[in-house]
Amino acid sequence: MPVMNLVQAVSYTLASEMARDEAVVVLGEDVGKRGGVFLATEGLYDQFGPDRVIDTPLSEAGIIGAALGMSVHGMRPVAEIQFAEYVFHGFDQLVSQVAKLRYRSAGQFTAPLVVRMPAGGGVKGGHHHSQNPETHFVHTAGLHVVYPSTPSDTVGMLRSAIRSNDPVVLFEPKRLYRAVKEDVPEDPDHIVPVGRAAVRREGDDVVLVSYGGSMAETLQAADALAEQDVASTVIDLRSLMPWDRDTVLEHAARVGRVVLVSESPHTAGFMSEVAATISEQVLDHLLAPPTRVSGADTPYPYAQDRAYLPGPRRILHAVQRVLEY
Amino acid sequence: MIEESSRFEPFQDEPLRVTSDEGAWIASFDLDLDEAELQTLYRELKRARKLDERLGVLQRSGKSSFVAPSSGHEGIQVAIAKSVQAGRDWLFPYYRDYGVVSALGVPLEEIIGQMTGTLADPAGARQMPSHPSSGPLNVFTALSPIASHVPPAAGSGLAQKLAGKGDVTICSFGDGATSEGDWHAAMNFAGVQGAPVVFVCENNRYAISVGLEKQSGSATIAEKARAYGMPGYQVDGMDVLASLYLLRELVERARAGFGPALVDASVYRYGPHSSADDDSIYRPAEEVAAWRARDPLPRYRRFLEQRGSWSDAQEAALDAAIEEELDVAVRRAEAAGVPELGAMFEDVYERVPWHLEEQREEMER
Ligand SMILES: Cc1ncc(C[n+]2csc(CCOP(=O)(O)OP(=O)(O)O)c2C)c(N)n1
Repeated sequence: MPVMNLVQAVSYTLASEMARDEAVVVLGEDVGKRGGVFLATEGLYDQFGPDRVIDTPLSEAGIIGAALGMSVHGMRPVAEIQFAEYVFHGFDQLVSQVAKLRYRSAGQFTAPLVVRMPAGGGVKGGHHHSQNPETHFVHTAGLHVVYPSTPSDTVGMLRSAIRSNDPVVLFEPKRLYRAVKEDVPEDPDHIVPVGRAAVRREGDDVVLVSYGGSMAETLQAADALAEQDVASTVIDLRSLMPWDRDTVLEHAARVGRVVLVSESPHTAGFMSEVAATISEQVLDHLLAPPTRVSGADTPYPYAQDRAYLPGPRRILHAVQRVLEY
Repeated sequence: MIEESSRFEPFQDEPLRVTSDEGAWIASFDLDLDEAELQTLYRELKRARKLDERLGVLQRSGKSSFVAPSSGHEGIQVAIAKSVQAGRDWLFPYYRDYGVVSALGVPLEEIIGQMTGTLADPAGARQMPSHPSSGPLNVFTALSPIASHVPPAAGSGLAQKLAGKGDVTICSFGDGATSEGDWHAAMNFAGVQGAPVVFVCENNRYAISVGLEKQSGSATIAEKARAYGMPGYQVDGMDVLASLYLLRELVERARAGFGPALVDASVYRYGPHSSADDDSIYRPAEEVAAWRARDPLPRYRRFLEQRGSWSDAQEAALDAAIEEELDVAVRRAEAAGVPELGAMFEDVYERVPWHLEEQREEMER
């Protein structure tokens, strides 16, 4: 099996899907010869040429809107937004046009497109190269929202996204782009279905739930707990819309103590939904309140870049609270 | 009241130049700047260049996490600063505009503090490097999302028009910015309102790797002005005097109530897009070399030398003075210290609300 990191998994999967299906095209800023500023489209321009790997003018509204217009012709555009926060220039296209097309046309028109964007902090990028805006899109009916954290999942989920007949917003944890290499499945039809979480390890003392970039710190916290003989179950949500409620509830009910880790802002973040659902559905099984560890409700700061992120120290504090409850 | 436009005609085929590559005066009108002012322009070009070089050194030595090099843009940048009244008029620059802020009079220690994330930054090191600002000098805090500062610049011009004091706004951006919807919204708004805003495109022909021909359906940026009811001008942005004469005229025109204008200044960035870029992937070394041969600094120095207004001794003294100024600025910026953890919770709102107090406590625990 080929060994690669997360950003290589993106270009690998794009190449594989473009070879399989002529309808798949890539568009965005600097995706051509430059191969994308993170090299997520490296090699594609040479392999597939300028008609299928399109360097666009610098306009996110243009990129997403044009991807939509192409998709109603049966094409399967994969749009790259250079950094997640720049999607706001194309927000109206995504939430007003793309998301609602199937609904408002009663299925006469659909938008089988993918919008990929690197997101997340810890890269000394300040306000506009660090954010996690996924909640905006979870709040927008009609979009699937996924956020893989490993190279293998990136392969399987990007492929699912490209083959989906609904629009998919795929976040990529840029701080993990080059963090680890692993074997990825070679089967050109290997997919990870949208809506399915992954249980990374199982233990009976506490359940840690996370997704995206924060999976790294969550797993570090789990290692630290293991050294203190605290056994954790770690769930990687991977998909936020739809999310794998059954897997989370099963483990929450079995263990009774849950810590929810996400680096996006705390208030009304995705983990608020998970916490509320756990409380509503399995309250009788809980031994402590589901407890969130989040990014702050501030703009993403430059000077306190790492402090903003929920690191192992803050995760362990929360675990201690639920264990001692 | 001045006549509506005098010296320069909009929508010409070629960019305006007043000096040749060799540094000869080639304009159809007489030079009317005194020697002191001419020398000041050179000092500011050199300060901007050396500042950019120092910022590169700070980045490479790990003191700064990022830099967007400005070398090659100095001609138009110094001209922008020298065409307005500092502290009266307003500036809406973008991330590459170090030459604008340094020539305007923003202290180098503040600029370097911003670059290195220390409290010498008047904006408290909240933003990543390459985002300068100055409250006292009316330099609106630069922001990363391309072109998002252009509509506020139109609004700034409208406020100035309503106040009726003859103040103006200059807004600068790259060629890539002209593709964003925000840019077009702003141009039209200013055109409709007759807002006193001079829009300046620092057209270096690339937006990261994307060349101008893939960026713009029109052959020039200048001609886009026509659609918004304002004059558009091409200028050689590496000719500091051409840039200054043109901008001064457009600033005075805006002050006098004749409304906005668009300037398409042709420049070249000598460095990569940023410290995170590798420009050799998308532009040939010969192209960079060809533009280096037109470097605005030696060109303007030749102009001064031909007038007998600059000597090797003056050059050496200037270099030494700027290096010393930079050394002091770096030391002061470093000595200012870095922000405390809790500072990230301030300035979100006028007062820190309860939930942010709680989050600060949790984080500091
Ligand atoms: C809305 C938005 N999209 C994308 C980016 C990423 N980005 C940063 S600079 C840049 C190119 C800008 O080019 P241009 O406007 O020509 O200015 P230059 O950097 O060449 O001076 C891009 C695409 C961004 N900062 N904001």
